[in-house]
Amino acid sequence: MANHEARTTHSVDEQLRALQGGDEWQPDVRAALGRFLEKRREPRWAWRRWAMAGTLATAACLLAMLLPSPQVLAHRCLECSAAVWRSLSGQSQMTRKLPGETAPDFALTDANGKQVRVSELKGKVVLVNFWATWCEGCQEEIPWFVEFSRRYADQGLVVVGVSMDSDGWNKVRPWIRDKGVNYTVVIGSQELAEEYGLDGMPLTALVARDGKVASAYAGVVDRAATEQKIRELLGERR
Amino acid sequence: MSVEAEALDVEPLFRLHYARIARMIARMVRDRARAEELAVEVFLKLWRKGTKDMHCVEAWIYRVALRAGLDELRRQVRRARYEGLLEWMHLERQPATPEELRRNCEVADRVRAVLSRIPVKQAQLLLLRSEGWSYAELAATLRWNPASVGTTLKRAQEAFRKEYIERYGQP
Repeated sequence: MANHEARTTHSVDEQLRALQGGDEWQPDVRAALGRFLEKRREPRWAWRRWAMAGTLATAACLLAMLLPSPQVLAHRCLECSAAVWRSLSGQSQMTRKLPGETAPDFALTDANGKQVRVSELKGKVVLVNFWATWCEGCQEEIPWFVEFSRRYADQGLVVVGVSMDSDGWNKVRPWIRDKGVNYTVVIGSQELAEEYGLDGMPLTALVARDGKVASAYAGVVDRAATEQKIRELLGERR
Repeated sequence: MSVEAEALDVEPLFRLHYARIARMIARMVRDRARAEELAVEVFLKLWRKGTKDMHCVEAWIYRVALRAGLDELRRQVRRARYEGLLEWMHLERQPATPEELRRNCEVADRVRAVLSRIPVKQAQLLLLRSEGWSYAELAATLRWNPASVGTTLKRAQEAFRKEYIERYGQP
């Protein structure tokens, strides 16, 4: 074993000695120092590389922003972030834009092809809920609206879910069937969302019997407070 | 630290170590002009890095030089392999010169080829050892525990021997 190691060491040393042939070579240090000082004065390529990489990354981002799919994704991310932020910072906030105003009207068709107009629901208390299948907060409150609809429909409550899913009925129809949504659902538009001041999902507006918005909440509603408000609007008081 | 102040620090080191660094790289890459370029690059890296927080500048210079030489050696070996592939595919290639044919037979080229194939740390160790560095110097330069240098060196020699035999048969 020791002999083998010694032989290996000797053999490897012998072979590596073959590299020592250039020991007599004396590089020109003065000329090399001149090159070193010259190169030191040159702008650093590293900066240019970083600048190039930054430019390419920016171009890629701009390109991605122009494509429809990333746009939708970014939009959803923003809305989700806003919803999460609202839910973390105290459930929901009453929006200042709508209350007291006449509810923005819309004429949209439901899953059965029947047209729904808010203006035609005057005399009823209408809960308009903007939602989407991908919105976590919406999924939390939709079962409450199902319950409200079941409990107060005969007293004059109409719940209208306005889906903002970009995939339309293909996505929404199976979803509402699976979740047992018992109220009217329509597919919304960006214009309608803007009219209701939607800047994050979900958004819920309660429209009184006179057609005016009684209250509007951005974010997940407070279930008890919303139910109390519905009762007030329906004329039922505890 | 201003540029002038850094230049004052690096220049004496350049004058002191440049020739040895260039020779060391030349042993690895064979091409002296390229070795000189790489040696200058080592000192440019040192200048860019600055010396403020460096414990041992000399050790750093030799580590970086070894790495630069071995990287270049690996690039050369890769290039040679692609050229061989092109030749095999009957693509246009300059015929080998008598000088090339002579060089290919040299032991030094075989040693370089083997060094380019074993792990970098083992190649670094063998190269420095072949230049007569002591275990203590090796440990300080490569930032290893002095107690483990001997064992690592044995492993490196064994790896070198195996790779050499695999490629060229018994020396």
